[in-house]
Amino acid sequence: MLPSYYEFYNPVKIISGEKALDNLPYELNRLQVTRPLIITDKGVTDAGLVKTVIRAFAESGIILGGVYDDVPSDSSVTVVNDIAGVFRRNECDGLIAVGGGSPIDTAKAVNILVSEEGDNLFQFAGHDVLRRPLKPLVVIPTTAGTGSEVTYVAVIADPSRKVKMSFTSAYLYPRLAVLDPRMTLSIPPGITAATGMDALSHAMEAVTCLQKNPISDALAMASIDLIGKNLLKVVAHGRDEEARLAMSNAACLAGAAFSNSMVGLVHSLGHAAGGVAGVPHGVAMSIFLPYVFDYNMEKTAPDLARLLLPFGGPEEYANTPPAHRARRTIELIRALRQSLYDLCQLPRTLKEAEVSRDKLEAIARTAINDGSLTFNPVEVTYDDALLLLREAYD
Amino acid sequence: METSCLLVKPGRKRFKSLVVKTVFLILGRSFHAASKLDLDIKKEIETWDEGFKFMMKVFPESPSMIVEKRKGILVYRGSKGGSADLTIIFKSIESAFLVFTAQCGTCRAFAESRVIVSGDISKAMSLVRCLNILQRYLFPLFINRFILKRPPSMPWYKQFIRAYIYLLGVPFGL
Ligand SMILES: [Fe+2]
Repeated sequence: MLPSYYEFYNPVKIISGEKALDNLPYELNRLQVTRPLIITDKGVTDAGLVKTVIRAFAESGIILGGVYDDVPSDSSVTVVNDIAGVFRRNECDGLIAVGGGSPIDTAKAVNILVSEEGDNLFQFAGHDVLRRPLKPLVVIPTTAGTGSEVTYVAVIADPSRKVKMSFTSAYLYPRLAVLDPRMTLSIPPGITAATGMDALSHAMEAVTCLQKNPISDALAMASIDLIGKNLLKVVAHGRDEEARLAMSNAACLAGAAFSNSMVGLVHSLGHAAGGVAGVPHGVAMSIFLPYVFDYNMEKTAPDLARLLLPFGGPEEYANTPPAHRARRTIELIRALRQSLYDLCQLPRTLKEAEVSRDKLEAIARTAINDGSLTFNPVEVTYDDALLLLREAYD
Repeated sequence: METSCLLVKPGRKRFKSLVVKTVFLILGRSFHAASKLDLDIKKEIETWDEGFKFMMKVFPESPSMIVEKRKGILVYRGSKGGSADLTIIFKSIESAFLVFTAQCGTCRAFAESRVIVSGDISKAMSLVRCLNILQRYLFPLFINRFILKRPPSMPWYKQFIRAYIYLLGVPFGL
C-alpha cells in the first residue's frame, strides 16, 4: 500500500565488487579531491587493510594527506578535534573513512568541523542544524552491518558530560561508498555475526516501521534476501569472497532503506542497552529482534508475513499457510539466532550478554527518550519497555 | 518582439493561517494550564532545564508558538521571540492545517516527514509525550484513537483538569 505521502533521498554513489578500491583515485579526481585524509582505527591497520587502500593510490598522482588510525571504538569529541587539527595542518581537502561504525561516524563529525570551520562540535548537535554542504567524504566499510556509508547520521560521545551527541543532516551523507570484498575477509566470526544481525534489523525494521515507503521497501527486501542466503555462510567460512560481498551489499541496501524509513523499537532498546550497559550494537539487535516483533505483531502482521518470502525463500513461503507467515518469520529469526549461537556464541539474551538485572530500569528509561521510538508502529511506555527487557533477560 | 515575463507574487492563505494561529494560541495556553495541574506532564518537564524554550512554527517563520519553562511550569510566550532550544517545524501551512484539524495524526505527521525537529531529540521525545497528554485533554477519545498510536489513559479526576483547561486556561490564559 502506498503511504499518503513520503520522501526518499540518497545521494551516495556506490561502487561495488572486485578491485573496486582501485577506482578510488579516479572517483576522488571527479570529486576534485587532491589530498585526502584517511581516518581509521588500529584494528583496520593491524589487519593490513590500510596498506591495501594506500596501494590503490599507486601511480595515481594523488598524495595522501595522512593516515589517522587512533580512532577508539567509541568515537569521542576529543578525537574529532584532534583529527580536525591534522586535517587543517596538512591542508587536506577530503576525507576517507576506513572501518566500521566508529571511524565512519568520526569522519562525518570531523567533516562538520573542517567544513563549517568551527571548533566546538556541540554547536552543531541535533537534527538539521547544518546549513551548508560539507567536504567530500568517501567511506570504505570494513564490516557489513551499520550501513553508515549511506546514512546521514553520526553519533559522538562527549566523555566530559557523559552524553552521546547525535548529528543528523542531509549534508552528512558521504559522496561515495566503496564495497570491496577484500575489506571484510578478515573479520572474526563473532563480529561478522553481530554486524550481520544489525543489517538484518535495519532491513526488517525498515519494512515494519511507520516511515516505510515503496523505495525503502524494495531495498530492504533485497537486503533480507541476501542476508538470508549469506549470513550463516560468512560466519562459518569467512574467506568466501562472494558471500562477503553479498553481505556488504546487504548492509548497504539496508542502510539506504532505513535512513529513509527509519528504525523503531529494536533500535531504541539497542541504543539504550549500548549506552547504559555497554552491549555491542549488533548483539543487542540480535537479542531484541524477536521480542520486539512479537510486541509489534498487532500492527505489523501483514508486513512480517511478507518478510518470509525473502528471508525463508520461496519454498518456505509457499509451504506456510498465509495466516502463519508472520509467526513463521519470527520463528526463523529465532532459529537464525540459535545457529549463530552454535557457530560463535552470539548472545541470545541480555543475561548471556552479561547485563546485570538491576540495569533494566535505566535501559528502559533511556529507551523511551530515543528518537527511533517515534517510528515504531506500536506505542511504547516506560512500563512496556521494562516488560520487554525482562522478557529478553533470560 | 520582447517576451514579457513578470515577477509573480503568490497570494495568501488567510483562512488556513488564521486556523493555525488560533490552534497555536490554544495549544500555548493549554500547555501552561496543564503544566500546573497534570502530574504526568509535571514529571516530564521536571527533567527540562529552567528557562528551556521550545517553539512550534510553520516554515518559513510564521505562524509560531513559543513556550518556556519558568519556575517549574510552562509559560506561553506568544508568537514572537526568535530562537528556541528545540523547534518543531511544519514544512507547510497545509501540513499544519491537516494536523490541527485532526485529519492527520501527529505520529503520522512525523512518519510522513511533514514535521521535523531541530534540536535535542531526547528532549523532543519528552515534549511529544506532553503533547500526547495535551491532545487527550483537548480532543474526545474517538479522535484521539485516530490521531495517536495509543491514547494516554484518562482517569475520572482528570476531567477536572480538562474543565479547567477549557473554561479558564484557553479563554483567559490562566
Ligand atoms: Fe543498527
